[in-house]
Amino acid sequence: MINIRDKGAEIWETWNRPKRVAFVLISIFFAGLLPFAADWGPTSFLNTPITSFQNVLVYPVGMFILMALGLNIVVGKSGLLDLGYVAFFAIGAYSQAILSTKFGWSTWEVLPVGIVIAMFSGMLLGLPALRLRGDYLAIITLGFGEIVRIIALNSKGTGGPNGVAGIPNPPAVFGFKFDLMHPEHYFWLVLGMILLVVWMIRRFTVRRPGRAWEAIRQDEDVAALMGVNTLVYKLWSFVIGAAVGGAAGVLYASKVMVISPDMFKFDVSVLILACVVFGGIGNIWGVILGAGILAYLPDRIRFISDARQVIFGLVLIIMMNLRPDGLLPRKKREKITEKSKK
Amino acid sequence: MNKNSKHVLAVVAASALALGTVVTSQASAAPKEVTIMFQGPLTGGDAQLGQDQLPGAIFAIAEYNATNPKVKIKLEKADSQCDGTVAANIAPGVAANKKVIGVIGTSCSGEARNSFPSYIAAGLTMVSPSATAVGLTDPKAPDRGYPIFHRVLANDKFQAPALVKVGAKGVTSPKFYIVDDLTTYGAGLALYAMPAAKKAGTIVGTDSVTKGTADYSSVSTKVKASGANVVLYAGYTQDGAKFVKSLRDSGYTGVFAAGDGVNTSDLPGLTGKAGEGLRLVAPDVPFDLLVTKEKLAAFTKATGVKVPGLYVTSTYDAANVFIACIKKGKLTRAGIQSCVAQGTFDGVSGAKIKFDRYGDIIGGAPVGEFVVKGDKIDYVGIA
Amino acid sequence: MNFSVVTSQFWALCLQGVALGLIYSLISLGYTMVYGVLRLINFANSEVFMVGTFSILFIQVSVLGHAVNVDPIHGIQLLGALLLSLVGAMLVCALLAMLVELVAYRRLRAHGTNRLASLISAIGTSIFLSESFRIFTHSRPQTSPRLLEKWTFGEIAGANFRIDTVMAIVASIAIFFALDQFVNRSRLGAAIRAVSMSEENSRLMGINLNRVVTLTFAIGGLTTGAAAFFYTTIYENTQFNVGFNLGIAAFTAAVLGGIGNLRGAFYGGLALGLLEQFASAILGSQWKAVTVFLVLVLVLLIKPSGIFGEAVQQTRT
Repeated sequence: MINIRDKGAEIWETWNRPKRVAFVLISIFFAGLLPFAADWGPTSFLNTPITSFQNVLVYPVGMFILMALGLNIVVGKSGLLDLGYVAFFAIGAYSQAILSTKFGWSTWEVLPVGIVIAMFSGMLLGLPALRLRGDYLAIITLGFGEIVRIIALNSKGTGGPNGVAGIPNPPAVFGFKFDLMHPEHYFWLVLGMILLVVWMIRRFTVRRPGRAWEAIRQDEDVAALMGVNTLVYKLWSFVIGAAVGGAAGVLYASKVMVISPDMFKFDVSVLILACVVFGGIGNIWGVILGAGILAYLPDRIRFISDARQVIFGLVLIIMMNLRPDGLLPRKKREKITEKSKK
Repeated sequence: MNKNSKHVLAVVAASALALGTVVTSQASAAPKEVTIMFQGPLTGGDAQLGQDQLPGAIFAIAEYNATNPKVKIKLEKADSQCDGTVAANIAPGVAANKKVIGVIGTSCSGEARNSFPSYIAAGLTMVSPSATAVGLTDPKAPDRGYPIFHRVLANDKFQAPALVKVGAKGVTSPKFYIVDDLTTYGAGLALYAMPAAKKAGTIVGTDSVTKGTADYSSVSTKVKASGANVVLYAGYTQDGAKFVKSLRDSGYTGVFAAGDGVNTSDLPGLTGKAGEGLRLVAPDVPFDLLVTKEKLAAFTKATGVKVPGLYVTSTYDAANVFIACIKKGKLTRAGIQSCVAQGTFDGVSGAKIKFDRYGDIIGGAPVGEFVVKGDKIDYVGIA
Repeated sequence: MNFSVVTSQFWALCLQGVALGLIYSLISLGYTMVYGVLRLINFANSEVFMVGTFSILFIQVSVLGHAVNVDPIHGIQLLGALLLSLVGAMLVCALLAMLVELVAYRRLRAHGTNRLASLISAIGTSIFLSESFRIFTHSRPQTSPRLLEKWTFGEIAGANFRIDTVMAIVASIAIFFALDQFVNRSRLGAAIRAVSMSEENSRLMGINLNRVVTLTFAIGGLTTGAAAFFYTTIYENTQFNVGFNLGIAAFTAAVLGGIGNLRGAFYGGLALGLLEQFASAILGSQWKAVTVFLVLVLVLLIKPSGIFGEAVQQTRT
């Protein structure tokens, strides 16, 4: 199977700086035009029936890309299986909901706080959980995701099963209004967040934490022997992943305006994990592509309402069998080491 | 041509191909046709609720279209699966569809709350046949649907006392055990049942069992230990059936009464003999009791449904609210909104429907009492 | 907090907890057997269970022709119907589990690729199965006929020894005993143990890996099918999503006991069943799941590989 990602990297490496900058800027420009794709003749086949295309771009597409990128730091970069990622999304969303409805904070004020709360809960979960290995971690994180949801379901402060309603939209910035009439502004906001996260991950990857994660992923014992403080770096990846999830949650709550515990079920965690693996675990571009497709596909085929999820399941099975490393796998040299470990 | 530019060319060619496969956009709207959306669960675990209701809307609109009016009505379906998350995604799409001028729905309260932001912003009127949560029309609740939400049935503030009354009927010194399923609907109904139950007798215990739980034996044991003689359940059919079976198998012989969430035609089949005598309420009077034989035959002919299910009456009424406004020539969302808010409409039961400021029927609506007999749910009367 | 229920209904809660726990144990074998050999979470096992419950429905309603609201039957006819349902469900589940292995795991395993890919393809299989049944049943919950009259052996200290509960407990223990003997005594069992210790060494020893893997899936399917039978006899209901909650509970049970370990699954399931009963009795049913997970975290912190798990040094990651 050809590795598109390596081909891409090959081409990329032959380019000089201005060429690269131009490419990136043009790509961002086209991504920014996406909300209008449904109305423009040649791309109108992208339109989603029943649901509104521009809203689908924000949630699930944009949000899933954001969360998949966050989860990718945990699963892809440092190799920890997290089945409860939705917990951080929920924590972010509830931070926004409670702080804005009870204390009148605006989304921009909540955002940093929500991220910090998510990071803190990531640490709280990570400290005990990350001492465990492999699949034990998976079940603990799964449990954490459920605990967060059940507590939200049973607490008065979070509105119980009703959740929280009347969450305000974010106030306008530079004349850009964020409300139901302007989903494209929301999309640009999410796009901005995605770019920020991509930039952050790329920074981390080439520095010390990135190398430590890589070492942990390939062989934790060897990494520890080489003097990498594995617990600290695992915790870091966990906490940064949580931060991204929290940020997504804050934005989501301000977008839908009503949240309830049933939005944060286990299947969201599973879906985001599927996005990561489907696209190409460990590779940012693969994850973006995978999340984009998996989030978009169910809405695009909503008209075949009944068989929709069946097709979704089939796509997962077939794709994983054909491309086990995802659509855009990580670099070859990273993969070889993984195989030799087996 | 070097290697790189070849690649670039390939990419350009590929994208051109992709863009070329254009599905031509739909032709402009047909001249005299408006669309009414039915929004509710048509698939998913609660599909029965929406599938029972839908024929009511289909019939009302078929009746209207058969009169060859100037403006025909097209009924479309939005399946939000009784799930708030799905509704939050679907509502913006419905709101953006300019042909839709009214929504019959939603069936569930959770769906309604998550649809409100979009519909309020779009000025799209909703008339719900079965969303009974009190908060939806509570002037003080942040999740109220003012000004676009209306419902043609009594809310849980009326259903809950009726449930208590029906449960305690014929029971001397009732001892209540109240169980809900931790959904918006169930928790709300249980909450409003508490004060009424306290008045009618004593509450010996409460519990909340998450919807979808397989094993009800521990709560059954608790009910038995508490000495309760009336169990009130606020939840949906499937879990209600599991609960009552578990209760009967554990030897509980008292009353089991449940709200409209349990009251679907599937129930007797699911409970088997354990369901015999199960008492139910619903803010609904069966359609077949209200209409003439001819009309019922027409209903069966139009929808293929022999025995109208739960909430066909209210769905039919909800559809007719829109139809009355369309007959008056209101073909825009704004026109519909003011027409529904101010107009007086005829309910199929003969009662007049007029909405108060927040969307409830002025003067309230009846809550029916039902009982499970054999493999049928029998209507007893107004509770 | 309500301790009075616990004191007055202690034995009733215990009995129900054991019955439910053993059903968890049987399902958790579908996870634990596969995990022991492949080090993979067999996510599709919950749907194998779901299909098992439907197969019983099919056998009792369509094959044997009992109406859903039939009167309980007796004697040889009852015995035959129950045995046929049990064996039928076990076979269906075993075949399905083998099929799942073939579709979702075989190719990926040959690839020697990362384990997450198999996890996702298993999740895909799971979605596919449950959604197919959702469409097939129009999302409606289904009931199985009550063939077995629920008479009781009697009540001892408040615990109601009902025939279905007693049958589930006795038969589950028998199945576990048989399986334990099989794995520890037979040649094939030795092969399974060898592969779970070291895949590579056992390959060198001439063990046909694919055969062993298929066998473990089949065993997991057999026990899951048995669980489906006991579940259907006690609760008499099913729906396309019935596997979800039970699957998570069974997986938790497997981890609690030490995943990959046969006896761990047995005791893990028992512990979970009892824990759920007492948590719902004392704290209220809504806190059941939270209690279970908190206990799980505590157990794993004290013993990082579950109650019966192997030492951490041996855990392959």
